[in-house]
Amino acid sequence: MPIQTRRDDDGQTLVISIEGRFDFSTHQAFRDAYEHGDPAVRNYIVDLSDTTYLDSSALGMLLLLRDYAGGDSARIVIENCNNDVRRILSISNFEQLFNIR
Amino acid sequence: MTDKPHLDEEALAELRDVMEDEFEVLIQTYLADSRDRIRALREALEAEDSDAFAKTAHSFKGSCINIGAPRLGEICLKAEMAGKESRLGDAPDLLNDIDQEFAQVIHGLDGLMAR
Amino acid sequence: MDDSAAEHSSPLRILIADDSDSDRLILKTLLKRLGHEVLDVANGLDAVSLFQREAPDLVLLDALMPIMDGMEAARQIKVLAGERLVPLIFLTSLSEAGALARCLEAGGDDFLGKPYNRIIIEAKIKAFNRMRLMHQTLSDQRDLIRERNRQLTEEQEIAKRVFDNVAHSGCLDAASIRYHASPQSIFNGDVLFASPRPAGGMLIFMGDFTGHGLPAAIGAMPVAEIFYGMTNKGFNGEDVLREINQKLKRILPTGMFCCGAMIEADFKLNQIQIWNGGLPDGWLIRPSGEHLALPSRHLPLGILSPDQFNADFERVGAAPGDRVLMMTDGFLESADSEGNVFGEQGVTGTLDQLEAHDHPFDAMMAAVHRFTGNFEDGDDLTLCCLEMMDEAGLAPLPDRASPSALAGPAEWRCTYEIRERTLGEFSPLPLLLHICMEVPGLRRKSGEIYTLLAELYNNALEHGVLELPSDWKHSPEGFGRYYAERNRRLANVEGHYIRITLHHSLKPDGGRLRVVCEDSGQGFDFRNHPSVASGISPPKGGRYAGRGLLLLKRLAETIRFHEQGNHVEIVYDWQFARTAEDRDD
Repeated sequence: MPIQTRRDDDGQTLVISIEGRFDFSTHQAFRDAYEHGDPAVRNYIVDLSDTTYLDSSALGMLLLLRDYAGGDSARIVIENCNNDVRRILSISNFEQLFNIR
Repeated sequence: MTDKPHLDEEALAELRDVMEDEFEVLIQTYLADSRDRIRALREALEAEDSDAFAKTAHSFKGSCINIGAPRLGEICLKAEMAGKESRLGDAPDLLNDIDQEFAQVIHGLDGLMAR
Repeated sequence: MDDSAAEHSSPLRILIADDSDSDRLILKTLLKRLGHEVLDVANGLDAVSLFQREAPDLVLLDALMPIMDGMEAARQIKVLAGERLVPLIFLTSLSEAGALARCLEAGGDDFLGKPYNRIIIEAKIKAFNRMRLMHQTLSDQRDLIRERNRQLTEEQEIAKRVFDNVAHSGCLDAASIRYHASPQSIFNGDVLFASPRPAGGMLIFMGDFTGHGLPAAIGAMPVAEIFYGMTNKGFNGEDVLREINQKLKRILPTGMFCCGAMIEADFKLNQIQIWNGGLPDGWLIRPSGEHLALPSRHLPLGILSPDQFNADFERVGAAPGDRVLMMTDGFLESADSEGNVFGEQGVTGTLDQLEAHDHPFDAMMAAVHRFTGNFEDGDDLTLCCLEMMDEAGLAPLPDRASPSALAGPAEWRCTYEIRERTLGEFSPLPLLLHICMEVPGLRRKSGEIYTLLAELYNNALEHGVLELPSDWKHSPEGFGRYYAERNRRLANVEGHYIRITLHHSLKPDGGRLRVVCEDSGQGFDFRNHPSVASGISPPKGGRYAGRGLLLLKRLAETIRFHEQGNHVEIVYDWQFARTAEDRDD
């Protein structure tokens, strides 16, 4: 399954992992991962350890998540990016909107 | 050779059920049709046309089977085979058998309708 | 459609053909009792013609019939049915396999033996009806899909044509610009706009909308309108960018955005200002081959709200001969047959190998084509190269429109005053230019009018109100210092103002525009100012860099100073159009 989720921190954090290509084909699965979620979820972690590739539609999906999670007050961390993925995020200056580590 | 009954009571009962008011019409139609067929058989024999003989016998067989006259149907089958195999020599005897059996069928059907 | 409901509720039209009158009667009655409409004939020929006339849903045929037998009738009926699935059932007491096989070959779908069994007949009719309906549904859906597809393709083609008119336009054919955009067949959502500015210089915008096809391309329309509309009115890159971001933020759904870069080239000051939000590194390439990266420092357009949007441009000195190269990421993603991408290494590698006489545009295009091994197919490249030119070398903007026969306002006056903090936040120049452009005779002079107004206003602001020494601007280090100080002082302008008054009246041979600019600054000793007096050499420091003053003198009929020098009056005359021979320059 390309998208896996788990809960951490006594259920307050939702961790979404994406395996393989994070592109248009993962659109619906990614949305399903966080929508209709438990209102107890306050923080989101997008784990890209196994993500090989990210394209502009993935950037769009991250923006949708951010919008869902409260926009400017959203607490989202994007972590474990490989070099290619990091580079794409940095060209778009997404560290201005997301905490990337 | 097992003897088939002259009339298949069960089949006729079903037909009466299906046809309802039209049952008599059906019987009359069958009888009229059958007379035409028998005549056609004789004509084919006279013309020595075994193909026409076979085809007519085949059709007659079909309507007998449907109406519930199994023995007559069987005789028609024999007539059909004779025609197919060009054994028109057997035809006159078969035609007699047909006439006789047909009389039986008429008698049986009349009895039915009287009830 | 609920098939089971249809089976039970809708009666079928059934055609039966049998030469036995009694058999036909039995079957007809049976079928009518099941609720169906029955048409009956006694031979094959009548079966075919009735089929043609009445188009039944189902056909029951006796195999052996006079005139035309069942097999031949079946063949003809199947042909008549065409694409429609009309189940055809043979009524037969035939038993040999050979004869049955011949029935199937003739087009028969099934058999029904004699004696007729009510239950079997009902079951077969139901089964075949289900099949018939399913087939119909599939055909209908296929036809619907085919039609919708055709429509969509047509619409896409029209949209592509509209997009192409908008996407690569403006002054891209200017001598100083070389560009490559992907061919007609690719609908990749990249745009490239270029426009000269009324007071000189150029604005270029390159954009890459997310997604592909129609949704990606739709954003191009409003962006083009904003870009060209505002640039023509004299707005600068920052203003245009803010407006583009705001528009896209409003119209694009969350998750869609536009990676873009804006270049504002100033051929007078020999500098470029660049804003890059999400595009790959741009490059400034000196004639020596030395190259400087211009990386993306901002989020793409359409994501941040207006109050969060950062429109800060980076300033870089760029002299004639320097070139600015911009590309979208289709360039970096171009792949060879093995799936390796050209990438940043491909670009920097090419730049590193540039020789002194190489044109970076040609070198880059050649490098990517060599790498991918193909030429036209799959070309998804947008590349633009601007060459810095000497201001004097640029042909002046051609007179855009001949004076209109329509009368515009001839005798009028208006005053516009900007005060205090608005001084730093808003430029009145586009608005004032627009007012002047209402006069038909001034329309073809928009460049000169804008220059006049801009010189007056900027001098009043920078040297009058802010008291910034102009000679700082003339050195590379001074640049940064100048603008930093400018921003700092703009924060403390309480009590200050600039007032511009425009008067216009007609003259026998044309018209006269009088512009008065007053500011709340200290003024200067205009009586003893060398430029004002002799008008020859540019003085050092103080108000009115000599160049500015000379420019005003060249453009205007007269220029006069009043009060303490913080009141300037300019007269600009225009003439009714003459024939081509008597018109100068």
